Amino acid sequence: MSRLGRRRGGGRPTPPLVCRWDLDKTYLRSEFETIRQLLRTAFERGEDKVDVPGVVELIKVIREAAERRGQPCRTLFVSASPPQIGKAIRAKLDLDGVPYDGIVFKNQLQHLRPGKLRNLREHVGFKLVALLGGRLEEPPEARELLFGDDWESDSLIYSLYADVIARRVEGARLESILRGLSVDPELVREVLSLAARAGGADAVERVFINLERRTPPAMFRLFGERVVPTFNYFQTACCLAGAGRLEPADVVRVGQALTRSAGYTPRRLENSLGDLVRRGHLALRDAHTLLKPLRKAGLIPGPLRASGWRRVLDAVEQLRARRRRVVGPPQATVVDYEAILERLHATTPAEASGGPA
Amino acid sequence: MPTIAVDAMGGDLAPDEVVKGVAEVSLTTDIECLVVGDERRIQAVLEGVSYNPEHIAILHCADAIGMAEEPREAVRTRPDASLLVAVRAAADGRADAVVSAGNTGACILACAKHFRLLRGIRRAALASVYPRRTEYPGQDRLALLIDVGATVRCEADELMQFALMGHAYARRISKVANPRVGLLNMGSEPMKGGEILVEARRRLQELPQLNFVGNVEGNELVGGRADVIVCEGLLGNVALKLIEGVSEIFHDLASHAGEHKLAWRLGLRLLSQEIERLRELTDYTQYGGAPILGFERLLLKCHGRSNARAIANAVKVGAKAVRDRVPAEIADALSTFR
Repeated sequence: MSRLGRRRGGGRPTPPLVCRWDLDKTYLRSEFETIRQLLRTAFERGEDKVDVPGVVELIKVIREAAERRGQPCRTLFVSASPPQIGKAIRAKLDLDGVPYDGIVFKNQLQHLRPGKLRNLREHVGFKLVALLGGRLEEPPEARELLFGDDWESDSLIYSLYADVIARRVEGARLESILRGLSVDPELVREVLSLAARAGGADAVERVFINLERRTPPAMFRLFGERVVPTFNYFQTACCLAGAGRLEPADVVRVGQALTRSAGYTPRRLENSLGDLVRRGHLALRDAHTLLKPLRKAGLIPGPLRASGWRRVLDAVEQLRARRRRVVGPPQATVVDYEAILERLHATTPAEASGGPA
Repeated sequence: MPTIAVDAMGGDLAPDEVVKGVAEVSLTTDIECLVVGDERRIQAVLEGVSYNPEHIAILHCADAIGMAEEPREAVRTRPDASLLVAVRAAADGRADAVVSAGNTGACILACAKHFRLLRGIRRAALASVYPRRTEYPGQDRLALLIDVGATVRCEADELMQFALMGHAYARRISKVANPRVGLLNMGSEPMKGGEILVEARRRLQELPQLNFVGNVEGNELVGGRADVIVCEGLLGNVALKLIEGVSEIFHDLASHAGEHKLAWRLGLRLLSQEIERLRELTDYTQYGGAPILGFERLLLKCHGRSNARAIANAVKVGAKAVRDRVPAEIADALSTFR
């Protein structure tokens, strides 16, 4: 059932919407593949940092759309970077005019002791603790959207977090998964303790993974429909519109940000939309709903191309009708973490979770 | 950026290798690819590899022409086959050029059916690049053989047009300022080869815009005497296949010789660097496709066994030809001929 364009409302107060964002490679175009880049990133000032195209506008429209519905929205960042770069990050967020409610950094200094050094590079335990700790600060009925990238293990961490708070993964199984992921025993204990308190709500609606490294989308199938790998934030916005979280006008704003500041052309946006439909993350009727305002704003090629686009859509529609496949809200996903662990042991942690080594 | 329509269902390794080639192009260039074929199969391949969807559009069609099908009948009765849909997309202006690894005859007939011939052109030609020995520093290590099968038998007029088309293509794509043009014949003397070739030679000699070097014999095909070698389709196809065949025999010999004698194995080990260079030189996957010249739009015909790399290179060559306005260059060259 399509929810695009429907406004939520009614007498009861709407539960808050919590958006949790990763920072590097999700919000910022950080580069730290070499020591030189790592050092440069560490000493960059706020005005030197570069955001991923469209992310600033997306954060703003999600918040504004929620507030239009009378739903409080909280934007939180969780980063595995050290708190020492916090000042530059806050300066960057202020410069971008991004409204946010908190940032959690990873205190790297506490790992600079014997036996804990490997925790410097291990983020699963740290992020789960940060996410579960953050969950305890929200009302139990709060809904969540999670945003990460394909560089680390965000798809795995976010899926695990979603299943832990939904009590689909708990107790001995959770412990076994964490140990399988080589999480530090201290952090395992902390996660288990937090999980026992934070659980009880199937709160995570979707997990968006920014395919910064262009990881093949098929790598994320193990995580189910809840995880949506997207190639740009226009796709993310379209998907959120399909889920009823954004209005078409909000998608137009994200598209405009991309054309204005990142050199996107109407053709690139049109292709992005087509890809999203083909991958089954946006229903065809929702794509149709978005087309009109996008075309009106000049973000999708005009009448000459429209006939071509129409042909593509018609072809896709016929195909979909044949397959009797209807895209709707993600089903309650059952993630096979044991299979993911198996893949993880065959490859590297990040590859196993859709990201690289 | 140019848009290249890619026939996803054409070729022995389609759609997997074709789609992988497109994915590779999408990651490394801004070329827009319109991939034509079975959407479900194309998408399944795409999702298993790295790609950038911003540069890829898919035009769905369920039908495809097989490699062994009779071309004329297939083109006549299968209007919704991927090749014909791709060619029509280019004819309608939705794409600027076409790349296909499918049935060669069907490619030529599809172009003839949907593309307009350039003004003054009598017959289209299929041109192919192949590796050869160079004679002077800076000479392109690839020569262009035209025609290799589009027009089986030719008149002198057609051979002259082929010479002008090949000259224009080599100038634009190989960036040879003044390519040397030769006529493939059975002897270097002016009177050799029969009436048509004698007349063609005489008239080519009189064209001031061509750097014509005279007749080129079979043994000179792999030398550096001419950059563009003109011939009728039947002869060109035989010559090209012969070059490919000799190269394959050499590779087979090199790979199996070592199995028989230790001395040969040692010899091959010593020559391994040179053998690798030769392998690279004769590797068709790095040369892109063979262009069908003479139409207002370009179709690059890739080898039937093309892998992802060959397809990616053909798409890049197609985009380069569009950017460098190759059909317009050919039209200009022919206007002086008229």
